[in-house]
Amino acid sequence: MPVTFTFGEWFSARTIIGQTLADLGDEYPNLWTVTPDIGMTLVEFREKFPDRFIDVGLAEQAAVGVAAGLAYEGNIPVVSGMLPFLSMRTVEQIRSDVCYPNLPVKIIGTHGGLVGNGGSTHYAVEDLSLMCSLTNMTVTSIGDPLMVGDILRQSMKMAGPIYIRLGVGKSDQAIYEPGTHDIKIGKGIVAREGSDVTLFAHGTTVAQALEAADALEKDGHSVRVIDMFTLKPIDADLIEKCAKETGGRFVVVEDHLAYGGLASRIADVIVDRGINLTAFKRLGIPQVFAGFGNDEELRDKHGYGLSATIDAVKAVIGAKA
Amino acid sequence: MAGSTLVNDGQRHSVAELEDLAFELRSKLLYLCGTYEGAVHIGGDLSVADILTALYHYELNVDPKNIANPGRDRFILSKGHAAVCMYIAMAMRGFFEFDDIVNTYGQLDSAFGMHPCKVQLAGVEASTGSLGHGLPIGVGMAKSARQRNESHRVFVLMGDGETGEGSVWEGAMAARSSELGNLVAIIDRNRQLMTSHAEERVALEPYPDKWAAFGWNVVMVDGHDMASLVTALDGLPPASSNRPTVLICETIKGKGVDFMERNLAWHAGSLGQEDLAKAMASLESTRASKGSK
Repeated sequence: MPVTFTFGEWFSARTIIGQTLADLGDEYPNLWTVTPDIGMTLVEFREKFPDRFIDVGLAEQAAVGVAAGLAYEGNIPVVSGMLPFLSMRTVEQIRSDVCYPNLPVKIIGTHGGLVGNGGSTHYAVEDLSLMCSLTNMTVTSIGDPLMVGDILRQSMKMAGPIYIRLGVGKSDQAIYEPGTHDIKIGKGIVAREGSDVTLFAHGTTVAQALEAADALEKDGHSVRVIDMFTLKPIDADLIEKCAKETGGRFVVVEDHLAYGGLASRIADVIVDRGINLTAFKRLGIPQVFAGFGNDEELRDKHGYGLSATIDAVKAVIGAKA
Repeated sequence: MAGSTLVNDGQRHSVAELEDLAFELRSKLLYLCGTYEGAVHIGGDLSVADILTALYHYELNVDPKNIANPGRDRFILSKGHAAVCMYIAMAMRGFFEFDDIVNTYGQLDSAFGMHPCKVQLAGVEASTGSLGHGLPIGVGMAKSARQRNESHRVFVLMGDGETGEGSVWEGAMAARSSELGNLVAIIDRNRQLMTSHAEERVALEPYPDKWAAFGWNVVMVDGHDMASLVTALDGLPPASSNRPTVLICETIKGKGVDFMERNLAWHAGSLGQEDLAKAMASLESTRASKGSK
């Protein structure tokens, strides 16, 4: 059943995922869901299609291996779980069982970034770096809870694997008014127009980037915000365009290690294409085990919260050409 | 087998014929080991030669003329380093020519490499090589068959050393939980790892009890006795039953070549012309002594 929504309203991405999968299960009789004991998102699917649901218990490697076996047989498996475990404990299964034969397995999960206050065992902060290094893998990080349904739907047509990253996913504000943005895997979203500087973000930092842009506008700064929700393949043309149109001034803010995530991927494009920049600043998690605290406190403590973002953008705007 | 939509027509050989085929397979293995300049995992190839012969020339319902036939039995070589042995068994079953293997093995752009790749070689069911991956994949295939009411079986061949990988036991639990009587694990119980013999470094015993404790139907087999292998395969519970079966096949690494048997030096290696002649002579004499029994 279609989800009704209003811009700015709060939604549970997990509920959207559950509803979307339950819908897609009708459309795709070969759609399966697999989980290592993180099945609450999948209740609706499980009840509707009990013969296409597998909970292997606390056994992430088996979850991905089983998904590969299903996919070899022409099925489309979605593995749902917590990303700190799904991205690391199973990284070899993802690489050798899924990516090597290029199977249409979808890995979707929560706890990407310093979110949920579970401590460093429960924060996926290296995941995008790991996943982006895998051949055949498409890598996404979603901030808008409604958008995750679109991405799942689009991914059904893909021949190979995809990684879909969320924050906690229990309650997030809708960012995009439906129908107003072209949301396509592999294409960055211009979340906000601007001409002085481009602020790149993905996932949980998109809302923060928009808030920073609003605050900066009051000081007369025009900040473009790009939701680079697909990290791989990266939208290199958009990066080049933004460099030209915003004076070669870039700031990247992400809930991932500052080195190895989106900032690194953008830096690769800049170097490979020989793009001239005036200033480039990256904000993200430093190479530390982050400790406990709520999401906002942790971002502030580790230097990529709202005020740090505003400061970084100001500094980049002020940089001499 | 019962209810299969693909009939293993004309390929269900007698025990005597299977023994001849296993001899031929070993001879071809040694020949390749003598012609290929790099190392071949000859020890673990020889320990599964009888098992693979029994599978490809007796048990598996496969159709080399229509390799994607949905009714076929699935076979996953989880111990991917025995790929050469599987390639030769497949060639002898008609999937391709033995010369295709000999002429290209391990060379640039060859479909035949040290570990099997489904994308590069049609007829391979799963890309393997990293140990402990095959059983969970087999669980997924067996689940899919169940959901579609398909009656074929899924076979997964693992080394005993390989079962040190935790993912094997994750798969074993999942198979039991899903009541996959259409899944058959085969263990090459050669009691050797790459660098140590049984129980020296790793305590696998009580080995059958481990599988039984995971809820599997455990069958002990002499992995070098074709009659024992055929009996075990004939005795498999119906694919529609609700417990997965493990055939623990007692084997000898390097089986058939006296200087390789139980010898850690022959986990992998290559044979010079002199050694190749010695190996072939040993293989012949093993066969002769068996025939005179």
